[in-house]
Amino acid sequence: MTLWFVFALMTAAAIFAVLLPLGLRGSKPSQGSEATVYKDQLVEIDRDLAAGLIAAGEADAARTEIGRRLLAAADPKNSPPLQSNQALRRLAAVVALVGLPAVALAVYLPMGSPRLPDFPLAARSRAPDAQPLDGLVAQVEQHLEQNPTDGRGWSVLAPVLLRLGRYDEAVRAFRNSLTYGGESAERHADLGEALAAAANGVVTAEAKSEFDRALALNADEVKASYFLGLAAEQDGRKADAAKIWHAMLDKAAPDAPWRPLVQAALLRVGSPAAPALSDQTVAAAQDMKADDREAMIRGMVDRLATRLKQNGDDVEGWLRLVRAYLVMGDRDKAKSALSDARQAVANDAERLRQLNEGLKTLGIDG
Amino acid sequence: MIVEGGHYALVLALALALIQSTVPLLGARWRDPALMNVARSTALAQLLFVGVSFAALVTLHVTSDFSVLNVYENSHSMKPLIYKITGVWGSHEGSMLLWVSILALFGGLLAAFGNNLPLSLRAHVLAVQAWIASAFYLFILTTSNPFLRIPNPPMEGRDLNPVLQDIGLAVHPPMLYLGYVGFSISFSFAIAALLEGRIDAAWARWVRPWTLLAWIFLTLGIAMGSYWAYYELGWGGWWFWDPVENASLMPWLAGTALLHSALVMEKRNALKVWTILLSILTFSLSLLGTFLVRSGVLTSVHAFATDPTRGVFILLILCVFIGGSLTLFAGRASRLKQGGLFAPISREGALVLNNLFLTTACATVLVGTLYPLVLEVLTGDKISVGAPFFNLTFAPLFVPLMAAVPFGPMLAWKRGDLLAATQRLTAAGIAALSAIALAWAWARGGAALAPLAIGLAVFVIGGAITDIAERTGLFRVPFAIALRRARGLPRSAWGTAFAHAGIGVALIGIVCETTWNSEFIGTMKPRDTVDVAGYSLTLNGVVQRQGPNYREQVASFMVSIDGEPLSTMTPSKRSFTTRGMSTTEAALLSRGFSQLYISLGDSSADGGTVVRIYHKPLVLLIWFGPVLMAFGGMLSLSDRRLRVGVPKAAKALRGLQAAE
Amino acid sequence: MTRKQRRLTMIGCALAVLGFAAGLVLYSLRDSIVFFSTPAMVGEQHIAPGKRFRLGGLVQPGSLKRGDNLAVTFEVADGTAKLPVAYKGLLPDLFREGQGVVAEGSLDNAGVFQADTVLAKHDETYMPKEVADALKKQGHWKDDYAAKPGGGMAAQAGQGQGATR
Repeated sequence: MTLWFVFALMTAAAIFAVLLPLGLRGSKPSQGSEATVYKDQLVEIDRDLAAGLIAAGEADAARTEIGRRLLAAADPKNSPPLQSNQALRRLAAVVALVGLPAVALAVYLPMGSPRLPDFPLAARSRAPDAQPLDGLVAQVEQHLEQNPTDGRGWSVLAPVLLRLGRYDEAVRAFRNSLTYGGESAERHADLGEALAAAANGVVTAEAKSEFDRALALNADEVKASYFLGLAAEQDGRKADAAKIWHAMLDKAAPDAPWRPLVQAALLRVGSPAAPALSDQTVAAAQDMKADDREAMIRGMVDRLATRLKQNGDDVEGWLRLVRAYLVMGDRDKAKSALSDARQAVANDAERLRQLNEGLKTLGIDG
Repeated sequence: MIVEGGHYALVLALALALIQSTVPLLGARWRDPALMNVARSTALAQLLFVGVSFAALVTLHVTSDFSVLNVYENSHSMKPLIYKITGVWGSHEGSMLLWVSILALFGGLLAAFGNNLPLSLRAHVLAVQAWIASAFYLFILTTSNPFLRIPNPPMEGRDLNPVLQDIGLAVHPPMLYLGYVGFSISFSFAIAALLEGRIDAAWARWVRPWTLLAWIFLTLGIAMGSYWAYYELGWGGWWFWDPVENASLMPWLAGTALLHSALVMEKRNALKVWTILLSILTFSLSLLGTFLVRSGVLTSVHAFATDPTRGVFILLILCVFIGGSLTLFAGRASRLKQGGLFAPISREGALVLNNLFLTTACATVLVGTLYPLVLEVLTGDKISVGAPFFNLTFAPLFVPLMAAVPFGPMLAWKRGDLLAATQRLTAAGIAALSAIALAWAWARGGAALAPLAIGLAVFVIGGAITDIAERTGLFRVPFAIALRRARGLPRSAWGTAFAHAGIGVALIGIVCETTWNSEFIGTMKPRDTVDVAGYSLTLNGVVQRQGPNYREQVASFMVSIDGEPLSTMTPSKRSFTTRGMSTTEAALLSRGFSQLYISLGDSSADGGTVVRIYHKPLVLLIWFGPVLMAFGGMLSLSDRRLRVGVPKAAKALRGLQAAE
Repeated sequence: MTRKQRRLTMIGCALAVLGFAAGLVLYSLRDSIVFFSTPAMVGEQHIAPGKRFRLGGLVQPGSLKRGDNLAVTFEVADGTAKLPVAYKGLLPDLFREGQGVVAEGSLDNAGVFQADTVLAKHDETYMPKEVADALKKQGHWKDDYAAKPGGGMAAQAGQGQGATR
């Protein structure tokens, strides 16, 4: 309601600005005239003459010229007398009172969003006195810039960066936390996750090796196991993926928070973990299977294709793309991706060799 | 509430502008003082509401309200406060809002300080001003509304183009706009005169301060933009004949011509029709500039808007205003009475020559800027008209103009004596010849024309000094009297001298920088040393640093001359994470008016860094010249005395100068 | 001088200056403008070696090679054809593989485009206008070229999270 009150006040002020001069009667408006300018010019000539800047003869000639202009300016036909016109004034007042608000509302209403309140960033952070997240990140970054070997600092910063979607920086931060904070299964798994996130959710070979390392340190590392399953799924080895995930569920506590995630993943590869799921969950996950999953995979493949178009160096990416098309049953696209890949790496013998070798393992040749 | 309040204020400004563009005209037609005075109060109210709207947008950017589309697209919560504010006009919508705010500011100023104008002239001028304002309010509200909302606001903004995150951006566009838009007042005056069907010397007296004000801002704005490009783009270039730069140069050339022709009109009541035409053309070129920059028909570093509907809308505004005003001009110009007579060799004649060269130069820039666009529309061929074209056409036109500059103030009004003027300029001529000889002797290599150009520049500066010396009688009368006369001299006379000297100073800078600059481009590793123009620069090392919203790679160079350490220079390369972009921050070291300039390139694989090092002799004069010109303009603006052109009687003795 | 003579003098002067300027403009327009081509257009038009023009297209990913002393070579592609480019000097800040580029120079006898200027003349969408137009005309325009990197990143970030969480 306050907003409309403010609008009303503003409109009233605008109307007042129009009505004010209309209401002032009798007072003679101040105005200049050409004659004033010419009179000033005459005074100016006298001053120049006194200062010795012009000669007497010149001054006279100038006075004559200006005098002529002064006469012309004083000609009454140039400025007919002022007169007040009540009818027109009334019309103007009506236009201001009715037309102005009408125009304002007619223009504003279709475009404005009067119901939407302001959303300044400060009012939106949950804790009123908390600094914005980015500010904290900047502070930690500054601290680390000065103490780059602070492993704990890096392990605090890295997950935040990952959440903020600054994946490449998160990868670097996790690497540093490994270097300076010591190896641990968890850190390797986190680094793998960041690497996968940086690659648009694709578990690359680099990420996979991190997960392997994590599992070597702790065979029960949950995140690493999950992602290795995901890697298997992305490579098209659904059975392997299901095996890994089933093993996880078997070992896990019944109330492990990640259970639903893994169960949903299992549904995706077509091997539901029957006993653990209520009928409702299954139904929900199957819904997802129908629409979302298809869309998600397509989206991922398209993104990969786009990225490769822009940067064709990534042999592994090309292989993954070709494989994805094959899995999706789109042989034509797979072939065109293959020829694109060849073109992209044609100038680099080493990459071309990698590509050909990879293709052999996919069962397509030349 | 701030968002919607700002939005509604903008709408109210439109409504007020519509009233302001009609009611005062009715008042003038029926001679009703109250109706004519509506122009004044509505102009002030309009300024108030646009001000509220602009302040609202600034507040939204400062508080990072990402529920506003414009803020989301152009801001970021981590941006330093100053760039949150300057980001307001870094975006298309914000810059258009700034444009109309300045338009309203000029309207408001005229309403507040226009008491010396006849009532009906003021009503007409403000009404025309409101036509322009209405068109642009409509444009903003329908195609570039900065107050559109996002129902589910995102947590973080998309940041401002890092190239534009610079203090140069804070000052350069508002300055340019103050200039561009300031010419709207002279345009409105011209249209008002045509509507009233009457114009005389007093008109020029009234329009002069406004034109001068706009010209000062435009001069400073162009100079600042050029300096910004010089240090921010990292190439060491200061003028690229980029269409966007041309768009600001054209109104400047036409505006400079307008200043001079209005002078003739004010003093001698001559050149009236031409002055009116120039007023129309100057603002038309400002509109054209707005169209070129804002419609996205040209894409360059400056242009960040590409949306065809906007382009079409501005083109429509452009056609209506230029076409309409020229039609009105064609219909009414013949009714305007011709004024004073003058001989070809006279002050008036010199000013006509000035106008001729300035407008022709402006026309060649126009051709060079529009030709590629027209050709593309007609044939589909894409061409680029670059520096060679402009250097080849612009320079031959500017050389005779500059050679003529010193003669102008030496000639008397109505009929002048060229021989006498030449005699008075002997000293300046001798100075110019010695400058040529010196430059030739000192500089081995370089273009043969360079010493001649320096001579020309010295001649222009010498001419400006001679002008003042002649007026005060320096060297002819005792020093004390000369000093007293100097004090009594109108400030506009000093203004003329400063402005003319400014062109000469700028020319010296331009010639020296382009002819004798030395450069080194190559890969350097820490401890490497290179010699450039007598300085030796050693790369100490390269370090990483974290800024508020970027990371930077800073190189540190030790500069020494003849083995004596002089200073340390730290150019850097910044990378902005949010956009994945990088910018080059050049390091500058000024030595007198010359500068050393270092910018960084990529790091090579073997640990070296690619660097560009330039030594630019007297480069600062390029911008010091325009500052002098603007200072001259301000002196002239502060001159409250009136100008009277004293006609030279046919048989009068020469010896005394006409008063300025 | 009579009034008529004065007027004639002035008009004569004005015409002389205008004529001079028109001559200059025509002369310069013939000699100092450069045309814009894409690699495909170069192939079709058989541009003679030594003729200056602007070449626009996308920097072929993986083609950038740095040699000694700031010499670089890369290929400019437009979807149908490719053209090798040699350049010596600093590449602009915004030069990227896979992004749009405009280079100015001429072809040598071996069919390599010897560029003396490489322009970073584009806005935040990383696409010079000429290049975008030419690609659109040839039907190689993809929306993902036009997608602003920030927007694209945001979308990918959302998807990336979805895949990992």
